[in-house]
Amino acid sequence: MNFKHKYVFLFPGLFVLIGILIFPIIFVVRLSLSGWNSYNGLNFIGLENYVRLFTDDPRFWESFFRLSFLSVTTVVLQYVIGFALAHMVWKEIKFQRFFRVLFLIPMMTTPVIMTVIWRTFFHESLGPVNDILGNFGFAPKWLTDPTLAKFTVIIVEVWQWTPFMFLLLLAGLLSLPKEPFLAAAIDGASPVRKFIYVTFPLMAPISIGAIIIRLIEASKIMDTVYVLTSGGPGTSTETSSFYIFIKGLREFQMGYAASMSFTYLIIMIISLTVIAKVLTKLLLKD
Amino acid sequence: MNLVGENLSYKLTEELQLRKISFNFEKGKLYTILGRTLSGKTTLLKTIAGLLMPDSGTIKFEGKNFLEIPVWERNIAMVYQQFINYPHLNVFENIAFPLKQRGLDPQKINEEVFNSLKLVGLEGYEKRKIQELSGGQQQRVSVARSLVKNAKILLLDEPLVNLDYKLREQLREEFKNIFINGLSEESIVIFSTTDPREAMELNGEVIVLDEGKVLQVGAAKEIFENPKNLKVAAISNDPPMNILKADIDSNKIKFEDIEIDIPDHLSKIKDKNFNFGIRASDVELNDNGFEFEVELAEISGSETLLHLTRGNAKIITSIEEVMDFKIRDKVKINFKSNKAYAFDETGNLASSPFGGSSV
Amino acid sequence: MGKLYTFLKYFFITIWTVFVVAPFLWALTTSFKDFNSVNGGVTYIPWVDFEPNLEGWRVLIKSPAQGGVDIVEPYFNSLFVTCTASLISIILGTLSAYALSRYTFKAGPIKNNDITFFFISQRIMPPIVLSIPFFLFLGAVNLLDSLIGLIVVYIVLLMPIAVWIMVDFFNKVPREIDETALIDGCNPYQAFFKVVLPNSIPGLIVAGMFCIIFGWIDFFFAFILTFTEVQLLPVKIVALNSSITPWWSLSASALVSVAPLIVVAFIVERYLSKGNLSGAIK
Repeated sequence: MNFKHKYVFLFPGLFVLIGILIFPIIFVVRLSLSGWNSYNGLNFIGLENYVRLFTDDPRFWESFFRLSFLSVTTVVLQYVIGFALAHMVWKEIKFQRFFRVLFLIPMMTTPVIMTVIWRTFFHESLGPVNDILGNFGFAPKWLTDPTLAKFTVIIVEVWQWTPFMFLLLLAGLLSLPKEPFLAAAIDGASPVRKFIYVTFPLMAPISIGAIIIRLIEASKIMDTVYVLTSGGPGTSTETSSFYIFIKGLREFQMGYAASMSFTYLIIMIISLTVIAKVLTKLLLKD
Repeated sequence: MNLVGENLSYKLTEELQLRKISFNFEKGKLYTILGRTLSGKTTLLKTIAGLLMPDSGTIKFEGKNFLEIPVWERNIAMVYQQFINYPHLNVFENIAFPLKQRGLDPQKINEEVFNSLKLVGLEGYEKRKIQELSGGQQQRVSVARSLVKNAKILLLDEPLVNLDYKLREQLREEFKNIFINGLSEESIVIFSTTDPREAMELNGEVIVLDEGKVLQVGAAKEIFENPKNLKVAAISNDPPMNILKADIDSNKIKFEDIEIDIPDHLSKIKDKNFNFGIRASDVELNDNGFEFEVELAEISGSETLLHLTRGNAKIITSIEEVMDFKIRDKVKINFKSNKAYAFDETGNLASSPFGGSSV
Repeated sequence: MGKLYTFLKYFFITIWTVFVVAPFLWALTTSFKDFNSVNGGVTYIPWVDFEPNLEGWRVLIKSPAQGGVDIVEPYFNSLFVTCTASLISIILGTLSAYALSRYTFKAGPIKNNDITFFFISQRIMPPIVLSIPFFLFLGAVNLLDSLIGLIVVYIVLLMPIAVWIMVDFFNKVPREIDETALIDGCNPYQAFFKVVLPNSIPGLIVAGMFCIIFGWIDFFFAFILTFTEVQLLPVKIVALNSSITPWWSLSASALVSVAPLIVVAFIVERYLSKGNLSGAIK
């Protein structure tokens, strides 16, 4: 009896994916070994791009640190707030359904489009935020101050994606078994204790999954930056993705951009694997 | 022709294997596979069903190489221990499924399904959803579905193990009727269980399985009366048979500081050192008996099981009523030595009360 | 203590609600303004601070020739591309997910989990990495600035999601159901379609929703790979941002474009309450 049906199931999806991907991936690698820009064609310059990347391009590594800072901060914030919100609408509460739907909505909106609105929102002279704050005497430079600009990006990202965490965590909470909580109730545990010793540990696997997924998505922060600050002011909100974008599609140094992309990919895969393992050890050490 | 398996081996993990199993199942008979958990029962059944491919060995049915026939073309049916039904279909549709798959016409399907429902006692339940049924009812639906096909081989993998005690007994009774009326005379029924009492009640041909090997094959009665070795004695009794190391000295059996008169059927065994075996039910309370101390008292159904100790000897006795004992109580027991067994030092049956012996 | 906690709870929820609703409210009031309203500074409440005006909204209906903003075509383009790509991704992804859940694959050192990881890792790639080669690739087969080209690219984005969700879901459907179907006479394909699939509807819906969401919100690929012939909604709106389009048309367009997915929010909440999403994470 042969088992060829198992391949029939797997292969369409796999082949289509590989088929669509194969050329671009190989091309990126080949491109990274070339010096393709506005003058040269697809020549071959070996590892020159990579050498340049590792020795002569602090801007890339800065963008990477910025990216790490931004994505880790937003994910942590999203996790904490998302968990809090999920926990609050988990049990019976007034207007439960209303709040649950409401808290999901930001995720359903197109980030770029909302960011366009945020841009008007945080506009330093014509926007409502500074208008209101102006009454109290200060009008922060949301989009033009280097440090504050990062903060603004974080605010927008948190608004946009906390619902995603909220959704995954609420689904997790709703699927928890009842017994441990009954036991805790019998033992007379206070809500705080209940959370620390029952809820949180039980949610550990789901938390890890949600965090990793969010980290993967957050590292690609691009839409927000593009619309809100264009990486600025200066380079203060320039993430790796954005820098690669500039080099590749603004300055047309395609070869170099490709080498950056590939490096970025490898670093991301490694760091995500490491983070996943660390988190697993940390949260599941029971 | 029969279902013949030869030297079937299959390795799932170190623990879960089939080791060169052979069998010869004849048409129209009921076989019980008796074994502990992880002994390979489910693996064996799944291999016969075709859900698992053995690493080596052959299976032939009606002369044809069974292994070359895919699962869906074999004429088999299987009932699982977890009540498996199609959740998205109601009771009628569940039972009708295999018939629909075969392309029978609706009228015939109707007829067969209703017959099956009657057989398992679920008339009137056709429109119900599976989720609304109790465990016992769900299992009946599974059984009905397996009967409706009139399969030539019916496999049941511990079908009653997830039901409560009363239901188990009830269904066991019904099974006897179901097997007779629901299946053609040619069908082979293979029923696996860990419960020796179930095996005895079903009264089919028993195959004792342990760690992937066949230990003994025989009628239920034969397995009960003459277990081939210590392992079989343990598997085929619940609670396990009491085994004590003993020796014979001047026509008395001695173990611990106890002496018993040697019964006739044991007087001719050769070794002076042997394993003395006696069932829990053959150890009785007797005021003139030997004093033991209660280590543990369990109530199981309507029996009491006492775990007793004296020195190094440990005995379990079962009493047919519910009695109240506390730990460290002293009781006096006697051994019905005419029901005793002797196993030699390698564990093989030396002598049994029913005249059996493997040496 | 309990009272304090409840108070804090409602307080926090209120703050967050205000935060969530703020940009929408702002966009809403802005959409009703016109040049006169913003002369004195920032204005908020219609009729109180300024005279409401439908100019922002009218612009959506007027054609470009009349100075309007055409978002109808981008709307439908986005809808078409997203739905088609999602459908294909779900079909192919579900089939692959089923294989990964039920069967063992081994090609040298590569096993099931590795293949699943391969699918999911497509999400790690930032759009940039793939955009340049896709740009050249589509250019070579003449599919730039086309709906089909975009659909092809979106499949790469969305299939991983479908696979991720469905593998987890299938793992939760007992294998014995497939086995029983086989025993009842179904070959593996029939077993899948007649038995497993009908029991996987919740998973398919979740996968579908996530695919549609992530497909609808894409900006970057649409931005890079289309120009004039085909425009998707996000791109259109952003284009408005950089031009001299007044804020009110901008806000009106923005609001109209985010409205549809709010419907999806309702559907998601419904399924959440039924506990059907709990399987999607591992």
